[in-house]
Amino acid sequence: MARVEVVMPQMGESIAEGTVSRWLKSVGDEVKRDEPILEISTDKVDAEIPSPAEGILAEIRVPEGETVEVQTVIAVLETDKAAPVSAASPPSPPAAEAPPAPPEPAAAPEPVAAAVAPAPPQPAAPKSDGAVQTAEERLRQRSTPLVRKIAAEHHVDIGQVPGTGHAGRVTKKDILAFIESGAPAAAAGPARPAATHPVASAGEIVHPTVGAWEGDRVEPMSKIRKLTADHMIMSRRTSAHVTSFYEIDFTTIAAIRQAKKQEFQDRGAKLTYMAFIVKAVADNLQKHPVVNASVSGDTIIYRKSINIGMAVALDWGLIVPVIRNADELSMLGIAKSIADMADRARSKRLNPDEVQKGTFTITNPGVFGSYIGTPIINQPQVGILGVGAIEKRPKILTLDDGQDVIAIRTMSMFSLSYDHRIVDGADGDRFMADLKRDLESFPEGAL
Amino acid sequence: MWYCLALTRSLEERLVNLYRQGKVIGGLYRSLGQEGESVASAYALQRGDVLSPLIRNLGSMLVMGAQPVEILRQYMAKAQSPTAGREMNLHFNDFDLGYLGQVSPLGDMIPVMAGICLSFKSRGESRVGLVYIGDGGASTGTFHEGVNFAAVLRLPLVVIVEHNGYAYSTPTSCQTATDRLADKAKAYGIPGVTVDGNDVLAVYEITKEAVDRARAGGGTTLIEVVTYRRKGHAEHDDQRYQPREEIAEWAETNDPIDRYTDRLLQQSWVSRDELDAVQERVGRELDQATAECEDDSLPEGDTARSHVYASPPECERLWFRGLDG
Amino acid sequence: MAEVTYLEALRQGIWEEMERDDEVFVLGEDVGKYGGAFKVTEGFQGHFGEERVIDTPISEAAIVGAAAGAAHMGMRPVVEMQFMDFIACAYDILTNYVATARYRAGLSTPIVVRGPSGGYVRGGPFHSQNPEAGFLHTPGLKLVCPATVRDAKGLIKAAIRDDDPVIYFEHKYLYRRIKEDLPQDEEIVTPLGKARVANEGADLTIVTWSAMVWKALEAAERIEQEDGATVEVLDLRTLLPMDDEAIVTSVRKTNKVLIAHEDTRTGGVAGEITARINEKAFEWLDGPIMRVTAHDTPVPYAPTLEDYVLPQTDDVLKSARWLLAY
Repeated sequence: MARVEVVMPQMGESIAEGTVSRWLKSVGDEVKRDEPILEISTDKVDAEIPSPAEGILAEIRVPEGETVEVQTVIAVLETDKAAPVSAASPPSPPAAEAPPAPPEPAAAPEPVAAAVAPAPPQPAAPKSDGAVQTAEERLRQRSTPLVRKIAAEHHVDIGQVPGTGHAGRVTKKDILAFIESGAPAAAAGPARPAATHPVASAGEIVHPTVGAWEGDRVEPMSKIRKLTADHMIMSRRTSAHVTSFYEIDFTTIAAIRQAKKQEFQDRGAKLTYMAFIVKAVADNLQKHPVVNASVSGDTIIYRKSINIGMAVALDWGLIVPVIRNADELSMLGIAKSIADMADRARSKRLNPDEVQKGTFTITNPGVFGSYIGTPIINQPQVGILGVGAIEKRPKILTLDDGQDVIAIRTMSMFSLSYDHRIVDGADGDRFMADLKRDLESFPEGAL
Repeated sequence: MWYCLALTRSLEERLVNLYRQGKVIGGLYRSLGQEGESVASAYALQRGDVLSPLIRNLGSMLVMGAQPVEILRQYMAKAQSPTAGREMNLHFNDFDLGYLGQVSPLGDMIPVMAGICLSFKSRGESRVGLVYIGDGGASTGTFHEGVNFAAVLRLPLVVIVEHNGYAYSTPTSCQTATDRLADKAKAYGIPGVTVDGNDVLAVYEITKEAVDRARAGGGTTLIEVVTYRRKGHAEHDDQRYQPREEIAEWAETNDPIDRYTDRLLQQSWVSRDELDAVQERVGRELDQATAECEDDSLPEGDTARSHVYASPPECERLWFRGLDG
Repeated sequence: MAEVTYLEALRQGIWEEMERDDEVFVLGEDVGKYGGAFKVTEGFQGHFGEERVIDTPISEAAIVGAAAGAAHMGMRPVVEMQFMDFIACAYDILTNYVATARYRAGLSTPIVVRGPSGGYVRGGPFHSQNPEAGFLHTPGLKLVCPATVRDAKGLIKAAIRDDDPVIYFEHKYLYRRIKEDLPQDEEIVTPLGKARVANEGADLTIVTWSAMVWKALEAAERIEQEDGATVEVLDLRTLLPMDDEAIVTSVRKTNKVLIAHEDTRTGGVAGEITARINEKAFEWLDGPIMRVTAHDTPVPYAPTLEDYVLPQTDDVLKSARWLLAY
């Protein structure tokens, strides 16, 4: 008789927990290997969890609606079908909703170690379900001054580092080994501005409190909101933001688009302006590697891949699916990817790895009519392109004979926010100038 | 009194054996050759009076009623010793019997005994205090302050200064420039008297006189008892600074027990057989006491944390004692 | 080279200073003819004479006070406390008079008050104390606690030459238990205020002094052999002035600190060291600063009790392991 555990998967390196949304199988049901047995929901994605083995669902340990840390055993399979399924007991009815996360600790120093020290041999206390954070929990998340310092320097989320110290504390050795292994960059969750730094942000960012007035409605932030809030502040604190603005003439592209629209549609893709922009950005990131990079401590990581994140506004928040290796895709491929990703983001069907490892992000406030905006960098990237409304505007052109005329052109305003720690003004402007040139003289043959 | 003298000497001899068997822990301090003054002076007290001995006043404690088995247990640091192993040798007390153990910083017991006498006086009790100090201890600041304090407040205290020739290695001539330690009394405005410390009856009489005066409200008296320390400061001291002839001469001609024994026999107050019987009884009692406690266990380590305060009595057990290997 | 004990090294140091400088003299109880209760000054009186090796009455306050007066006049007295437990008898003159003399009155008081401290010898409450913390709080005094044979000599020589009052805490347990080859043709003077790395290590620092250095070294050796971690043992040597730089350097290197001292915990020197590390190296800490000390009781007499109350090698070992695993 053999028992196989089903654990809450880590849907992305930075994800700390997941919620059981629905059990697709009941205790006693036979399941095949890889047959979906439950659905889970994490900060960004919903997913079906396939069975790790063939057998009988012997035990369900986490009821629907409950949120647990990753790697928590949520079910047990009995692979010997003849064995009695005795331990099986139905889970308690699902909670109305996931319990709220414990309040984030204040930044004020507390004698964590002192509280732990007198009883060193004791195992870590079970995680409390209420608001009280135990010393062990604090220890796990906050570690020590040195580890916090190293984590801040390297943008490492302490919660993602495997801890070997007391109560699973992340020790100096743990975090140094983690950095050494190159894991932190990945763990920082490139393509996801809102949800990639849950624990680091939680440990470090405190939002000031404000009094409510009579009649106001006060509600807790959703998880995605909280993560976005933390990440935005973290990014502002981390990067030296500078924004440059470029006016782009889309008249040529508009003509190409008009001409090729039908052809693309016939091939199953919608030819949008964004496809042109992604193509031109991908080409230029290759030529300007400093904009396709990350800062890690005192080092610069130049990314080999060009993975372009596309910010997608959803009713419940913001998500950034990533077009992997965008420089290798044809216009058709890019157009299809954009449509597919946006579609699946809205229906929460993105795979975890489709929102990871972005190296540059494009956001498109123009869809709502905005002339332009000043985007905040999606850490740990160093550049984000804002695309303003694309519309016909009057433009002064100088004709070949030297005469100035006012013409009706399809125009847009672009903004590039970049991290001045490694991207100087000249670097950013060269990138933008090249991008402008490539877009304004887009070769029809490229399609 | 002869019983107490014999008991004192025999008990110390028993302790020497135990010390050499590694059963007595730490140091062992002998009063050989000066047992007489300790025993005789304590005899001058009544039940209710309190004395404070020094390390060489074992005899005075036995007179007050301290049991040999307690002394043995103290020296061997047994769990059942009066201080449960926390303190050593004669450093223990019994106010019912009337003794208060000393501390090592010499002189400290004089002001403390002055305070005990202050309580007697202010409560109108006719009780008396007796405190011992050595020729060396009389050089301390607390001796001076304590005697002066008692003198000024006319407290019922008798201060016995044992002039035994040496403070550790230091001869009395290096401790004081006075010929007689009793002369110090003059400076405090109290009676001072010198007595032959190895003449037990003389010591008894002089002390009795001072005790009676104190009890009658006559204040403090300082008595210098002249004797000789025939052993070293402690058993580990080789006495190189004491001329061998000097030691031999005191041993042969001026041993307090010999002198008292001779007196008893000369006066026919007792017979040799009677003394032999007493000595035999002493030996028997010591055998019994030794057997009773020799194999007792030492205190459990963790009990060291108790008795630090009245409330709460225990100090904290330190964190590292809870750790595994 | 000659193999000498801690006690002999101390004796040589004082002897050499007396040979070097006629103003240096020794005074204390039983120091002359007898050569001191522990024989530190054996043979001194015969060689230097009764004027320079003075037997005194049992009068600690007078001995220290007289030393101070002679020091004002340019002499360099070396006072022996028969046991450091009795330095309390001279507490008033040391703290109120000696320590303040320079500040108050511009008086130089170059005295050394030295003597045996420490337990593990079944000495009971009055022959086992480590009273250094009682003086740490007094500006104007310097506190020295040698752990090695070489330092016993080098530090006593530096202490005698120092122009400020120095309290020199020897450890009686070490007197005859440790030996070292000392070059006899080289002058050994160890500057005050400089700590010594007794063992280099990378994973944990044990800050300690006096006899505890040896317990820390034993623990460090076992950890190195059995755990594969390395422990830095920092022997402070002097508590005043305290070598903050050495402490901070080691903390930055190892990021974990255990402070081990034989004195009781509450109000002990470890508390002061902890505060300094917090002030100067907090960001380098990868664990709480922990203390291994005696329990907060007098030192009891019975071996079982003394062993319980005082910190043992095993305590250092277990604490170090706990911190390493933290």
